[in-house]
Amino acid sequence: MASPSSKRRKLQHSESDDARDLAGLPRRSGKGVPTRKDNGELCDMRDGDLSVDEDVSSEAGSSKAEEEMTDSEKAAPGSNTSFANNVEQKKQPVKRPATESAESVYTAEVYRSNMFKLQVDELLDQIRPNYGKKEVESAMRALKEHIEQIPSRPPLPFYEAQKALKGEGITVPFPQPLPPADVKYKLQYDRPANINATGSYPLKIAIRTDDCAVIDMVVTMPRTIFQDKDYLNHRYFYKRAFYLACVAAGLRSSARNKYKLSFDLMHGNQLQPVLLVKPSGDGSSADFTKSKCWIRIILALPENAFPQTRLLPTSSCIRLHPHSDSSEDNDRLTSSPATPFYNATIQADASVTQYLKLLHVTTAKVETFRDACMLGRVWLKQRGFGSQLFRGGFGNFEWSIIVALLLQPTSGTGAFRLSSGYSSYQLFKATLQFIARHNLTKTPFLLSSNNVSNPKGDSTPLLFDGSRNLNILYKMTKWAYYQLQHEAKTTVDMLSDPIADHFESTFITKTNILEYRFDAFIEIPLYAIAPDTDNNEQHAALIDGCSKVYDLLQRALTDRVSLISFSIPTTSDWSVKATRPSLDKERNVLVSLAIDPSNAYRSVDHGPPAEDKKAAASFRQFWGEKAELRRFKDGSILESVVWPVSNNSSILEQIIRHVLDRHLNPQAGTKATFTSDPLAHLLPSGSVQGQSNLSAFSSRMNALAALEKDIRGLEGLPLQVRTISAADPLLRYSDVDMDVKHIPASMVLQFEGSAQWPDDLCAIQRTKIAFLLKLADLLDAHGNGESARLGLENPSHPDLNQGFLDIFVPPGFTFRLRIYHDREATLLGRQLKDKLLDSPSREAAAAALSIYKHDYIHVPAHTQMLQKLCTRFPALSPSIRMTKRWFAAHLLSPHFAPELIELLVVRTFLQHHPWPVPACATVGFLRTLMFISRWDWRHVPLIVDFSAGTSEPIGMSDNLQARTFTTEDVEQIQTRFEAWRRIDPAMNRVALFAATNLDSEGTTWTDKSKPEKVVAARMTALAKAATSSTRAQEEKLLAGVTGKQARVDAGIESTPDHLFAPELRDYDVVIHLSSKYSTKGKRKQTATFKNLQLQQGDMGAKELQNIGFDPVHLFTNDLKEIYGNTVIWFWDPHALNVICGLFNPTVAGQRAWKVKADWNSLPSTTNNAKSDGANLTDGNGTSIDVNKGAIYNEIRRLGGEMIRSIEIKA
Amino acid sequence: MPSSGIPSKAKAIPTAVSDFTVLPITLPEAKLPAQFASVQHYLYIKPHEPSNPTPSSDRSLFISNVPIDAGESNIRSLFAEQLGGSRVESVEFDSAIPAEPSHKKFKVDRSDSGDARGKKRKRDEDIVAEGVVEDEYSALPKIWTSELRRSGGCAVVVFVDRASMKGAFKEVQRAVKTGKEIKWIQGEGLGIERYKSHHALRYPSKAVLQASVNAYLSQFTRTETARNRLRAKQRSVPDEDGFITVTRGGRTGPARLEQAEAKQKELEERKKANGPKGDFYRFQTREKRKEAEGELRRKFELDKKRVEEMKARRGKIRPES
Repeated sequence: MASPSSKRRKLQHSESDDARDLAGLPRRSGKGVPTRKDNGELCDMRDGDLSVDEDVSSEAGSSKAEEEMTDSEKAAPGSNTSFANNVEQKKQPVKRPATESAESVYTAEVYRSNMFKLQVDELLDQIRPNYGKKEVESAMRALKEHIEQIPSRPPLPFYEAQKALKGEGITVPFPQPLPPADVKYKLQYDRPANINATGSYPLKIAIRTDDCAVIDMVVTMPRTIFQDKDYLNHRYFYKRAFYLACVAAGLRSSARNKYKLSFDLMHGNQLQPVLLVKPSGDGSSADFTKSKCWIRIILALPENAFPQTRLLPTSSCIRLHPHSDSSEDNDRLTSSPATPFYNATIQADASVTQYLKLLHVTTAKVETFRDACMLGRVWLKQRGFGSQLFRGGFGNFEWSIIVALLLQPTSGTGAFRLSSGYSSYQLFKATLQFIARHNLTKTPFLLSSNNVSNPKGDSTPLLFDGSRNLNILYKMTKWAYYQLQHEAKTTVDMLSDPIADHFESTFITKTNILEYRFDAFIEIPLYAIAPDTDNNEQHAALIDGCSKVYDLLQRALTDRVSLISFSIPTTSDWSVKATRPSLDKERNVLVSLAIDPSNAYRSVDHGPPAEDKKAAASFRQFWGEKAELRRFKDGSILESVVWPVSNNSSILEQIIRHVLDRHLNPQAGTKATFTSDPLAHLLPSGSVQGQSNLSAFSSRMNALAALEKDIRGLEGLPLQVRTISAADPLLRYSDVDMDVKHIPASMVLQFEGSAQWPDDLCAIQRTKIAFLLKLADLLDAHGNGESARLGLENPSHPDLNQGFLDIFVPPGFTFRLRIYHDREATLLGRQLKDKLLDSPSREAAAAALSIYKHDYIHVPAHTQMLQKLCTRFPALSPSIRMTKRWFAAHLLSPHFAPELIELLVVRTFLQHHPWPVPACATVGFLRTLMFISRWDWRHVPLIVDFSAGTSEPIGMSDNLQARTFTTEDVEQIQTRFEAWRRIDPAMNRVALFAATNLDSEGTTWTDKSKPEKVVAARMTALAKAATSSTRAQEEKLLAGVTGKQARVDAGIESTPDHLFAPELRDYDVVIHLSSKYSTKGKRKQTATFKNLQLQQGDMGAKELQNIGFDPVHLFTNDLKEIYGNTVIWFWDPHALNVICGLFNPTVAGQRAWKVKADWNSLPSTTNNAKSDGANLTDGNGTSIDVNKGAIYNEIRRLGGEMIRSIEIKA
Repeated sequence: MPSSGIPSKAKAIPTAVSDFTVLPITLPEAKLPAQFASVQHYLYIKPHEPSNPTPSSDRSLFISNVPIDAGESNIRSLFAEQLGGSRVESVEFDSAIPAEPSHKKFKVDRSDSGDARGKKRKRDEDIVAEGVVEDEYSALPKIWTSELRRSGGCAVVVFVDRASMKGAFKEVQRAVKTGKEIKWIQGEGLGIERYKSHHALRYPSKAVLQASVNAYLSQFTRTETARNRLRAKQRSVPDEDGFITVTRGGRTGPARLEQAEAKQKELEERKKANGPKGDFYRFQTREKRKEAEGELRRKFELDKKRVEEMKARRGKIRPES
């Protein structure tokens, strides 16, 4: 099929062909399932309208269908489109892209990209369950026989019938409200009209799950046991419950102990109890434990048992006067509220078989339908949606039905919403687009019907299937619907991304992990939401309560939050002997909020103007004593609410507690637990939220701006200043400590070009010093309080920068200025190619060039980019700082360029899919850790697309242009990465690879083993541990909802802070530094006097002298130089309390004697040469080992009084 | 890894290995856990025998595995005070922290080291490829008081004469035989003082810097003239194949390197612009199409391989739970 010349498949079947085809399919698919009786029915119901000539219909339907696919889909990446054109030029028929084999080279057209298609194929293979399970099939056959043999029960008065069953050990699972005491009608049991397998298993659209698969068996109740008016006042449901109890009783008596029986609720809907048949596990012939399946017996109502019009969403079926049964009362009783949920539940029971038929027909007609269903299932599962009420009421069934319905021709024009020629991926995406596009709460979507609407005031989404008279989304809650739409939109956006393929985030990533998805959580105890819950009505009260809380929060928080979601406690299945258990009142409802960081921290809420009396009154009523009338700058007088910014509770928390107290329950606000950004307190001024968290850096930024102005204003500089750019984490909002006075922040100055510079690298460096001296004199004389001193660096490399200028600016900031001269790059490049130079010199030139590019090009460009991004994403700066804090706490930061850590976090914000952009530091941090834990850096480069998510061009400073990424760019980076791995397969030089638009080299931040492979592996291991502890944290959060005890792992502690606790046991040597030199103590000291210092605005001469003095840093540099790669050193540059060392086992171990071992050696004679092996000794049996004692002695003497003690691993 | 680090008594320390004598020296006491309270360091010593002998090599000892704080002064006093009192002229180390300034050098062309031009060449060799070799006026002030050595580095100790070298080596061997305790004298300026002094030296006075820069730049001007002369010579000397190397500098020369490259590029550009365009002939479009198709196929194969690799690495593609 793969060849481009394959003929278009003719689909103009004759009717008989069609019928044969379609009749054949169910038979084939139903082969394994013996309980199929409806094959005949399925082909009987086929009629002419399905054999529409596909050519015509696709022409007619294509316009509609193509509307559903976005433009981006049509305009596939360049190469694909051009190929498509070529195909047309060759007058080859357009191929039908259905289940083509994977060999097809054209898949990209209909499947995003080859990679995507191949991965989807692989995924489908993996999730397809094993259908040939003999045990279940025979169990189902046996069950069917058992049920068919259950004897009929004659009509008995209601309570007598119930009692009779009680005698058999079965409690009838009546729904709430429980039947009144004076029921007059009788209950009876008759042989079922039909028994059939249904659901995803026989349709082969199930997906493999970790727990037991549930196979549905539908038992259609006989019509004879119902009366016309049974749809009223729960009568149908009481009879249904009784019928189910009879089935249970029958199975218990006829197949005693063969199965474990229990009742459960269908989709958590208490009106629809079902019977769960679990294997006995005793190994008998009827045991089907091995198949890992449960069988669920569902009851169905025969079609048209009740009048359809009475069951429309607007009808009322629960009469306020339960005794007036006659329908003539209907007009008088219009005051009875409509019962859409109740009606739809009855309809759902009545349409089980119809939907089964629909799905059967569709699977037969559209080959790709099954795969599309499976993709949908995976998508829903990863987002935590399910048919169950508590999971949102949108699950696999609803998904399949929607796809099937959209594949039907529309009633008016006969056009198709989805074309049956779509590939599974296209069906999947188009369905998501359908969900994303239509707001079904506002404008209902009606299929083959008109005039159906929701009752007034009901905001359930309405997707009405007129042919089966059912609102498919009747179970959906408001919040679940918004969330579904939100997720669908996100995924559609992801799939329209022209560059990244997002396969992982669409199908693989588990998305509904609360910690990654939401920013704030409120745990409200059950009794606060539904206070008067005696067992009766508990369920309804809970849903109503949540609905009320949702409305309250929605009104109170407005645009501060983007999504509100509820985790609601639920019951599990219960024994057939018992009544349905009620919910433990100590459980919680967990409300999760996704906040909008740009609005969430606003302190004033504006209400209506005072003149609008009605609105003002309602505003006052809502906010109570918090509402006040205020006059604003623009002259308007508005009702408003003002929230004080306090340290111990955020504005969000204040609002939520106030509203819950006022409107839900006087205690609710106090009883609720509020969590938001739980790790923020770990950062200096981390709990300052929103835009203002950049303000802590702003005084330094202002000082920089003032300094730049002063420098530009200086008269007497030999050359004009061209640019002054910042090049330091402190100047891009991403240093952990924001008010460190003793650390100078780097910046780079470039003069206008001049021919006066010497044309020689070393001479340029001296000339720079001359410039800096001049600048220092001018600044000192300037009299704006700045003072400057010149420092030296790089004494071993005369071709590198030799001098820098430390400039002290009055409020107490220091800047370190270096001069950037663009000629250096040319000179170094020339040396690199100069064949007259010896090879060490050329290597030196290469090294110098990369340092030059790093210092003068990449760091300033990166700084500028980060400044932009930090103002664009309020949570970025604290997330970066938190992540850096984590790297530092685990003593890893000396091995990672700060820019690399920043890129990792920026990636979380720019390539945030499948979640929204993080809105608080903790989420940004945790998601970054999750990414790190999954980043397979050995095989995958880190590619950060700075242009993602914005349309504006990201033009940077003139020396480096960042452009919008294209597929070619990404491919190029990929090629470069692969080349690196080929040159250096052991990853001795480059372990991590990180490329951006600004820097496609990919090794700017990671070259020269920064980090080394072992350190990178440790990063991954630590991130994995952190991620699993996050999952444990989530379980803990949900424990209040599920009632289950959270799994307690021995190693995982309860506080979130433990993510930042270093593990010192793994190191060979731990050098404890004296507290005088560790910054831990120092910081406390300065903190006490911070205000004073700021007021003084000036520092003492001694303090000035000590700026930039960091003895521990110098000491660690020495250690690194001395021991090279024999020992790897780890320390926390923020705390500076310990330096830990790890002997590199691949370098320093016992070996044969050698003159230059590159480490301090200890010789020993080994007489027994055998035990050591030949390679460990030289010819004379002398081997060497690391002389650790001497090394520790050296270190101790080198460190002198800086070292408090050295701890050595035993 | 059997690297306990503790000198276990079971293993004997050899007195000699290869042609080196193993000299244990006792390190000064440092506050360390008990098992490391007294530790020894091992020096490997032998007479210096380099493959290219130098005038001083026959009166030198080669020491391997020198302590990190070894300096000229404590090696000198080690021999003077504890190993027979031989007088050391100088000590050369293979490494220094911070390293000595390194200048880029021209390749030493061994083919024409004829005696006739020997004198002239020698002067040219002094010209490093960039900057100048600083003298005491033009060098920037030192910013470290003392040097450290890389762990496991080596040194060549040059004695005043051959006899003192031999005496010293004998004394070493005797000390090893008798088991005499040799104490290591700690190098100067370790501990916090090292870093404090570095911080102070790092910021020299402006006057000192100005003087140094001035001296450097005038020295540089002189050297640059010499360098230009060398370049001019290279420009006019054909190599063995008769070609004249294109080098930088001098408008009188045949060509500038950059200009030649630019010209080349321009020429190619012009060729491209004047040739027939890509879609002129029918066969061109056909070939293009074929190429595109092949490219697609290739990409597909590549992607397939990638997915296979991914599967092999990460196992099956399954949704996370």
